[in-house]
Amino acid sequence: MGRAGSGAPAQRQSLDGGDPSAPGDGSPSGGEPEAGGGPLRRRVRGRGREGGHGRERRIWAGRLARGLSELLITAGVLVGLFLGYQLWVTDLFAARTQDRLHHQLEQAWSRPTPPAVAPAAPRVTPLPPPVVPLGDGVAILRVPRLGRDYAPVVVQGVSAADLRRGPGHIPGTAMPGQVGNFVVSGHRTTYGKPFNRLDELRVGDAIVVEVQDRYYTYRVSGSEVVTPNRVDVTYPVPKHAGATPTKSLITLTTCHPKFSASHRLVVYGELVDTTEKSAGLPSALTAG
Amino acid sequence: MYAWLYRHLPGSRRARPLVAALLLLGVVVLLMFVVFPAVEAVLPNGRVTMGS
Repeated sequence: MGRAGSGAPAQRQSLDGGDPSAPGDGSPSGGEPEAGGGPLRRRVRGRGREGGHGRERRIWAGRLARGLSELLITAGVLVGLFLGYQLWVTDLFAARTQDRLHHQLEQAWSRPTPPAVAPAAPRVTPLPPPVVPLGDGVAILRVPRLGRDYAPVVVQGVSAADLRRGPGHIPGTAMPGQVGNFVVSGHRTTYGKPFNRLDELRVGDAIVVEVQDRYYTYRVSGSEVVTPNRVDVTYPVPKHAGATPTKSLITLTTCHPKFSASHRLVVYGELVDTTEKSAGLPSALTAG
Repeated sequence: MYAWLYRHLPGSRRARPLVAALLLLGVVVLLMFVVFPAVEAVLPNGRVTMGS
């Protein structure tokens, strides 16, 4: 960028015939014309004169250099725009989507729950958990450590499109409060960066998961940084394939370090309290 | 390149800055909503789940 930029005054000069009084010599030190703009101006004037003689080759070389510099500047602007998109625009997108998700959850939760259908025949298997369509809100996550306003809506699914909307619940893992492992993955950077500060959680910190009728309070039991292939952290009993779960756990995963895919940061928690909404806020949320 | 483009923009001399601004806006919108979301798929910071 810098090199291309310093070529711009020269081009401008050659266009208007090398007028030494033309503005824009690019010198920031206006107070010292001799030291700052002197040598540049002399060189530029010389080139302008030669161009005036109409040498075809030089004109073409100039056009080529100009085209090239414009391309380079364009590339620089594109990279800058992309950076702005990643660091700022994606947050705007996510904030809008999260607002909408909050609204949708609010509406869905205020609707009376359909009365439990009395089974015609005695059930052998328990009722399957409600199936949430991919991309729809599942629950609201609250972590007092991350501030009072921290309340991202967890969506169902972890495809790229789902994760753009919010932290995603891995389908097939337990639902909030259920026995098993409620696994949620979220962006560490970009798209609202919901899990940006996951590394600040300490053992004992509360993670409150709000669903339609209750709050599930989990306590952080530990965290670690693992390689991305460690699927076993998402098992119903983390790291124990095939083990039958007896506890309700939560596992949050995100990328680590920030902006990298080399590792994953994993935070584990265990359900310690279930509060009906009719009984008010859980102690973890009122104390903070 | 840009000088050439600008000269070949439609519209009168006075309308051209507006046309250029609209064109620029169109390009930025295309980048933000189509190109960048496609490009970011190859970036590492979207990989937050296990097993990849």
